[in-house]
Amino acid sequence: MFHNRTLDHLDKMLSDAINGEFQESDYDETELSRLETKWKHFLSASQLSKNQLDKAKRNIEGLIADIAHQTRTPIANLKLYSALLEECLQKREDAVSDEQKLLQEMIMQTEKLEFLVQSLTKMSRLESNIITVNPQCEKVVPFVKETISLMEAAARKKQLVWEFGASNETCTAMFDSKWTREALENILDNAVKYSFENSTVRVFIEEYGLYVSISVKNEGIGISEKESSRIFERFYRSEKVLQKEGVGLGLYLAREILQRENGYIEVRSVEGNGAEFILYLWKG
Amino acid sequence: MVLKAENIVKHYGTEENLVKALDGVNLEVKRGEFAAIVGTSGSGKSTLLHMLGGLDRPTSGKVTVDGKDLSTLKEDALCIFRRRKIGFVFQSFNLVPVLNVYENIVLPIQLDGNQEDRGFMEQVICTLGLQDKLESLPRQLSGGQQQRVAIARALASKPVILLADEPTGNLDSRTSQDVLGLLKVTGEKFGQTMVMITHNEAIAQMADRIIRIEDGKIM
Repeated sequence: MFHNRTLDHLDKMLSDAINGEFQESDYDETELSRLETKWKHFLSASQLSKNQLDKAKRNIEGLIADIAHQTRTPIANLKLYSALLEECLQKREDAVSDEQKLLQEMIMQTEKLEFLVQSLTKMSRLESNIITVNPQCEKVVPFVKETISLMEAAARKKQLVWEFGASNETCTAMFDSKWTREALENILDNAVKYSFENSTVRVFIEEYGLYVSISVKNEGIGISEKESSRIFERFYRSEKVLQKEGVGLGLYLAREILQRENGYIEVRSVEGNGAEFILYLWKG
Repeated sequence: MVLKAENIVKHYGTEENLVKALDGVNLEVKRGEFAAIVGTSGSGKSTLLHMLGGLDRPTSGKVTVDGKDLSTLKEDALCIFRRRKIGFVFQSFNLVPVLNVYENIVLPIQLDGNQEDRGFMEQVICTLGLQDKLESLPRQLSGGQQQRVAIARALASKPVILLADEPTGNLDSRTSQDVLGLLKVTGEKFGQTMVMITHNEAIAQMADRIIRIEDGKIM
């Protein structure tokens, strides 16, 4: 008799789950109550992973549409400019400066295309988990200095001044220098891109018990509090910067990379008053 | 929605001694979200956390955790509900002094008559950097390490939500950074829904969403 009642109860639990309306009946110390909690846990977890899969699928669809759309323009432009260049060359008149201009345009468009294709490759590698981050014990200060030097040209264009400091010149952390450079480059690139002209970008390294932090602080348009959690989402682009180059992958990639090294990224910002991104590297 | 608070009111005392600790608070937390509740002392933030965690009952209003209206649960059932569904991290670490680190971490699971998920425990312990301390007693650990044990204990039962009340209130600023970093890293890694209470704006910046509370109301 007792056995039947238990079976009936289990049957009801299954039926409710199938109808998507399972709730635990009570919370007490019986085996059945414990089983109910586990059952609920399992159902929530399955629902959660289903939602995540749906979301990932939507994201990938969005990415493909977005990149496909964005690659069309440079390709069309490239074709146009090469046709024009061909005409110029056919005329063979002294149109050297025009040719130069067209060539310049072609180079720019090619670079744009290259950037998009690169983003796509990185994304797809990340999606298919081909990126293997291989953290090793490395010195942080030289790594950061080298990465900054890659940004010199872009910073000079905007007449930015770098300020650099470190609480401990010799501190080390566990990171993969290739991928972490990618992450830091993205952060520095943003700092430069969204700085006011003639302003200062401050980079400061600080050592904590378990982490070494790299802070990058600029003077620029900043990020509103509402947006500051969204900027790490894939393809998220602030309304204010839609006319700037980019597909909204840089910060997403940076966060993924740091996470795979057991680190994290923090952002602090006041809208209109610059932003500070802090990368925390795990000391291991 | 993992957590939903509707029009929560909490009054202490009566008539001229009436204190309105919470005055109609509405709040929703999504699965996987890391929310921070910020407010000055006396703003009602700890009272709110107690209501959300079923440690205290509101004067009026409804708290729903994982689809269950907490007011429908009797005291015993509520206690079991908390043990199974909610992880707590407080300012004081509340570790059992005679149990070693590992025993402390798995205590809530064993209390519930369950076996710990070994693989999961190992991941949590490694992420929190406690693998070398499992045999130690709490008093042999620093404050930051003790708080990391408390975080591991709160995560061990895979709660639907983790509530942290000033988790770094007893730590110096350097150690705080470490503990918060680990809290964030583990949260992201295990998709843990978290609500953290703090009076410190800089600490709140770690969260995905900041909720401000003043005079018992959400701003």
